[in-house]
Amino acid sequence: MLKFLIRVSSFLSKELTEILRQPKLILTLVLGPFLLMFLFGLGYPNQNRTLRTTFVVEDPKSLQGDLKLFTGSIPGIADQDVENNKELALAKLALNQADLVILIPKDPFGTVQNNQQAKFIVYHNEVDPFQIAYINSVARIYTDEVNRRILQSVTETGQASAGSVQGNLDNAITKAQALKQAIPPGDTNTVAQVNDLEKDLTTVQEQLTTFRSMGPDVLVSPFMVDTVPLSNVQFTPTDFFAPAVIVLLLQHLSITFASLSIVRERRSGIIELFRVAPITAFETLIGKFLSYLLFEILLAAVITALAVWVLKIPMFGLWINYVIAVLILLFTSLGVGFFISLISETDTQAVQYSMLLLLASIFFSGFFLDLRLMWQPIKVLAWSLPATYGNRMLQDIMLRGASVPSLLAEGLALIGIGFFLVDWLLLRRRMEVQYS
Amino acid sequence: MNNTKNRNLSGDVVDAHELTKMFGEEAAVNSLTMKVPRGTIFGFIGPSGCGKTTTVRLLTGIHRPTSGEVTVLGKHPVEFSKSDREKIGYLIQSFVLYPELTVWENLNFAASFYGVGLLRRHSRLNKLLEFVELSEDKGKLAGVLSGGMKRRLSLAATLVHNPELLFLDEPTAGIDPLLRRKFWDYFKDLQDQGHSLFITTQYVGEAAYCDLVGVMYAGKLLMVDSPEELRRKAYGGDIIGIKTTEWIRYENRKKLEDLPFVKGKIKVINDQEIELVVDEANTAMPALMEAAKAQRINVEKIEQISPPFDDVFVRLIEEETVNA
Repeated sequence: MLKFLIRVSSFLSKELTEILRQPKLILTLVLGPFLLMFLFGLGYPNQNRTLRTTFVVEDPKSLQGDLKLFTGSIPGIADQDVENNKELALAKLALNQADLVILIPKDPFGTVQNNQQAKFIVYHNEVDPFQIAYINSVARIYTDEVNRRILQSVTETGQASAGSVQGNLDNAITKAQALKQAIPPGDTNTVAQVNDLEKDLTTVQEQLTTFRSMGPDVLVSPFMVDTVPLSNVQFTPTDFFAPAVIVLLLQHLSITFASLSIVRERRSGIIELFRVAPITAFETLIGKFLSYLLFEILLAAVITALAVWVLKIPMFGLWINYVIAVLILLFTSLGVGFFISLISETDTQAVQYSMLLLLASIFFSGFFLDLRLMWQPIKVLAWSLPATYGNRMLQDIMLRGASVPSLLAEGLALIGIGFFLVDWLLLRRRMEVQYS
Repeated sequence: MNNTKNRNLSGDVVDAHELTKMFGEEAAVNSLTMKVPRGTIFGFIGPSGCGKTTTVRLLTGIHRPTSGEVTVLGKHPVEFSKSDREKIGYLIQSFVLYPELTVWENLNFAASFYGVGLLRRHSRLNKLLEFVELSEDKGKLAGVLSGGMKRRLSLAATLVHNPELLFLDEPTAGIDPLLRRKFWDYFKDLQDQGHSLFITTQYVGEAAYCDLVGVMYAGKLLMVDSPEELRRKAYGGDIIGIKTTEWIRYENRKKLEDLPFVKGKIKVINDQEIELVVDEANTAMPALMEAAKAQRINVEKIEQISPPFDDVFVRLIEEETVNA
């Protein structure tokens, strides 16, 4: 047992010394991700993009002086500019001098009065599907806002007109009361009819008073919406991406370090020495796992501390849950890295495989795109990547305050154990007798 | 370096019989039969690519033989246990240690994976560094060492667990003659401490430092013998050089050639110098002096000649090629 520990420790000190001998590398590993997250936070404040918009009004007279209804301040639309010439406006769009061109229909009020919908046409020059979706959303908001403004204007006019109607109603009620007094006694039938008339007039008067007393905006849009996160915190893009950046970085570093480790030793020839020496594949693998795990834990601790205490990334969960999730992530990522190292013939191959895994993790781990949007069969690929489990676990723990999601943790640990066993078998084959 | 284990100095550390290793259709090692007695320096000599390294790999258990029998320290190398492996030291041809680690750290790493305990490790490493004369350089990164220093560091790493049997694969390859000589001094010291050494080399001249030499050519072990016996085998006996004060006539030379202990033709170096092969130099020299005196040849100098091993090796290979 003592010799087992001595042999395992050989890699522990060797690997750590090799890494610690490169202070620039360590500085890059610690400060690099911190700076990336910091710059990301600066670069992407929690604000939606405002679109430079040119309105095209080909027939200004038809708007009857109500241009502000169509071009007044609207969320998502900025730097408005009004043109009469559609072609000129589209040329500005093509030259990137505008983000949107909104063509206001000719004689919109007349069209509506003719019981037809008037249609805005919104031009853009985007190619990014996400930006196109955003523009569609802004266009809907714009149409809703114009509809609301027109309804509000109509309502205000109606409320003003209701003032004179109300005066007439008062007179009618007074006259009904006088009529009631003038009815000869005993004509109960006529009295009842006048009472009904007076009652109806009073009800209409009350309803009119209510109509006039209500704000036109409430009448037009009686309902509003407010979305509130369960944590009651408004997350910034940095908050959202920070756990995923930590996960991607730890996975990538683990895989890169591990993938280069054994392939270099095979290339240098020292693995031949291990074959003759009394060290086993199991001892070698355990030693390497422990050394890289120790280094990565230290790295994870520093990066997390900077993220939470300097960048103020929220941490609603328990630290013990965070530690468990990171440990499982590191263990599995190292297993994947050693697997790459054992199947690669050269350093370049190992680096290429690591880069491919990084790209796959960026696209398929839910880093940018929600996994729920993914086509079911591709989800198999997504769930074979440690980063997918890591992202979900760290986001749940840090941003939702959840405990370690047991299914995710067990799934990831199972993959890690699987890779460890495969690595062990492959290394045994590499270190044992060559049968060829 | 006085902590060598008390070893049993009898028996053979390596015993191979008809050992063969095929790579596809090609025999890298072909029916190799040899024994390496304990406590000897066994030189394994042959040109590059003749199968020396494959033989070492068969003896260390890296390769499984295609056919034949082999035991190393009484065990089949493929079945070595951990404790068997602790008795073996293996120096690989190229430098395989870590250039980013210092001399000391590399040795410490080697000591760890051989399972050397922490308590005795420090003094052991210092003694080894002293032995290979790297004490002053223990803080240097291995990557900045000269070629010779790297070989010495590799040798120290091979010795770190004080192995009983050392397999040194071309330890002197690519280093200058002075350092090569120093290495052989180290090997002699190691032998004196009780280690058995199996050393491959393509420098034929190094055969002279060995107790036994195996001559390998094209996957075949041509012969195993002491360096002197190899010389005798190459030339058919001992070589004696005679220098006279005057011209040696043909009749005189012919008479010497006809002596019963003289083998083959006399080689004429110049008018006053000849070389001849005899069964046994010690007995032949007085007899030759008598014969010369009888023929009134005035001998200025008579001596046994040791031809360089390069020549010996070439003759052995030529003979083998002719016989084949």
